[in-house]
Amino acid sequence: MNWIYEFPFQLTIDTSAIDQGVRSFALTFDSVLRVIRQGLTTILLAISDLLTFIPWWVLVLLVIVLYFKQSKRLWMSIIYGVLLSMIGMIGLWPLMISTLSIVITAVILSVAIGFPLGLLLSLSERANMIMRPVLDTMQTMPVFVYLIPALLLFGLGRVPAVMATIIYAIVPIIRLTNLGIRQVNPEIVEASRSFGATTLQTLIKVQIPQAFTTIMAGLNQTLMMAMAMVVTASMIGAPGLGAEVLIAVNRIEVGRGLVSGSAIVIVAIILDRLSQGWVKPSEEEGI
Amino acid sequence: MKKLFLLLTLSILVLAGCAPSSSTTKLTFANAGWDSIAFHNATMGTIIETLYGYEWEEVMGSTPITYEALMSGEIDIYSEIWTDNLASYENDVATGRFELLGMNFNDNNQGLYVPRYVIEGDPERGIEPMAPNLRYVSDLPQYWELFRDEEDPSKGRLYGGIPGWAVDEILRNKFDHLNLGETFNYFSPGSDPALSAALAGAYQRGEAIVGYYWEPTWLMGLYDFVLLEDEPFNETLFADGVGEFKSSDVTIGVRRGFTSEFPEVAEFLSQYTTSSSLTSSALSYIEETGASYKDAAKWFILNHQDLVATWLSAEEFNTLIAALQ
Repeated sequence: MNWIYEFPFQLTIDTSAIDQGVRSFALTFDSVLRVIRQGLTTILLAISDLLTFIPWWVLVLLVIVLYFKQSKRLWMSIIYGVLLSMIGMIGLWPLMISTLSIVITAVILSVAIGFPLGLLLSLSERANMIMRPVLDTMQTMPVFVYLIPALLLFGLGRVPAVMATIIYAIVPIIRLTNLGIRQVNPEIVEASRSFGATTLQTLIKVQIPQAFTTIMAGLNQTLMMAMAMVVTASMIGAPGLGAEVLIAVNRIEVGRGLVSGSAIVIVAIILDRLSQGWVKPSEEEGI
Repeated sequence: MKKLFLLLTLSILVLAGCAPSSSTTKLTFANAGWDSIAFHNATMGTIIETLYGYEWEEVMGSTPITYEALMSGEIDIYSEIWTDNLASYENDVATGRFELLGMNFNDNNQGLYVPRYVIEGDPERGIEPMAPNLRYVSDLPQYWELFRDEEDPSKGRLYGGIPGWAVDEILRNKFDHLNLGETFNYFSPGSDPALSAALAGAYQRGEAIVGYYWEPTWLMGLYDFVLLEDEPFNETLFADGVGEFKSSDVTIGVRRGFTSEFPEVAEFLSQYTTSSSLTSSALSYIEETGASYKDAAKWFILNHQDLVATWLSAEEFNTLIAALQ
């Protein structure tokens, strides 16, 4: 009866060979990795400098004005402004800026890579078939499994944090760009073709505008998932609100954790509302 | 369809009847993720299973979570409580939230480490000595350029303590006390595996790195690191970052009520004591031979019989050795 509960065959995987592989890869491609790291650091520092340069009240006003322009709801705009100022009042403003610079860098890079990739997948059935399990892996592979090799390759700090965030958060923008383009009414595409538009012209002038709402929903999801990675990113040395939560959790200081956790929630809510606003105007313009 | 369903249910029930069942008492050990605690669990577990007949299992979790589980009684035995890393430890002992049985070891090193090749070079790997006169923590500012922080090239990077550990605060005070802030950034490594990966990665690339670490650990066993010296230990100013670290007490604790339920096990655990170097030797044995923790525990008991004899009565000791050989 043993084979009912136990597998009759056993495979042994030599995991130490994989360890060795990663190690020698790190040594061989040291200079390439250094260039990648340098490039990412430059982008990150530029965004971080910009955010640090903006005075707090400008950022608060910006949130109020932007949300009011979208929603025409004065009270809600002011509430969001007040919520944002509260982060400053409890002394977490510099931490929030440092968290934001990582999240924003990751989102910009995710869109820069993910949007073209999504377009490609919508045009090629084969690419789509290959990428689907890859995207599934990126979303479900436990972060620390690929984070530790990333640390051996890139060291600790904000750069690996940005990369880990991208791997996790890039998936929705790819998926929803792909989905949005595929969902465009084939008759509209056919019509534009029969007027003599090329594939590229059809894509830029017809399909992307038609799919805009879905693509923006993807952007919104990417932003939210990047925010969800804040605490994980702090486990590999990213400073900011996540690190504050981590300290509180490690010391079982419930109150401190709740305060810094709430600050993350406030930032996430504001980012979510602002990015959802970009979706709505196009819905009204839609056919 | 109904018949098929009935058949399926029946066959599952038959299979369930065949499944192995166990009814013996299981003792639960905390495994907070590092290797020496897993080794001590295996050693204690092997002895308890052989002598007293209780099965044992480990529950994985982070330090604060497993520690809380000990308080709530979900974990029976905690074989390595790193007292300095738990803010509420003294208070928990005083108020009896768990039962303190004894000291596992208290001769461990911790502090700021650099790879040995930074000071002495490594002819085999073609590494020249980078900082031949680096000996004290206070020498670091002279050599800050070796440890340049890539995310802020105007300063060096010093890898600090794990956020939330008591040592993190002490190190920050030391950082201020020695005015390291002028030439260094205090970099918070975020978590234990991240810090290990940073040190191991730099070591493999032959780069200079300076950071907090502790012994006994596989990392310190596998790679050759040097502990930077500091002024002698100072009882009163220690928390303000003055002087070297004293070794941390690593104690053995059990949940409330354990001693009265399992008096013979508690008696053994209260006698259980090892040392940092003994633990390191067992961890190196695992690293070299690829042995499991259970194999290493057996190896350890058979190779350190003089020590094991002090934990047990003569009769118990003889039974144990006879059973393991």
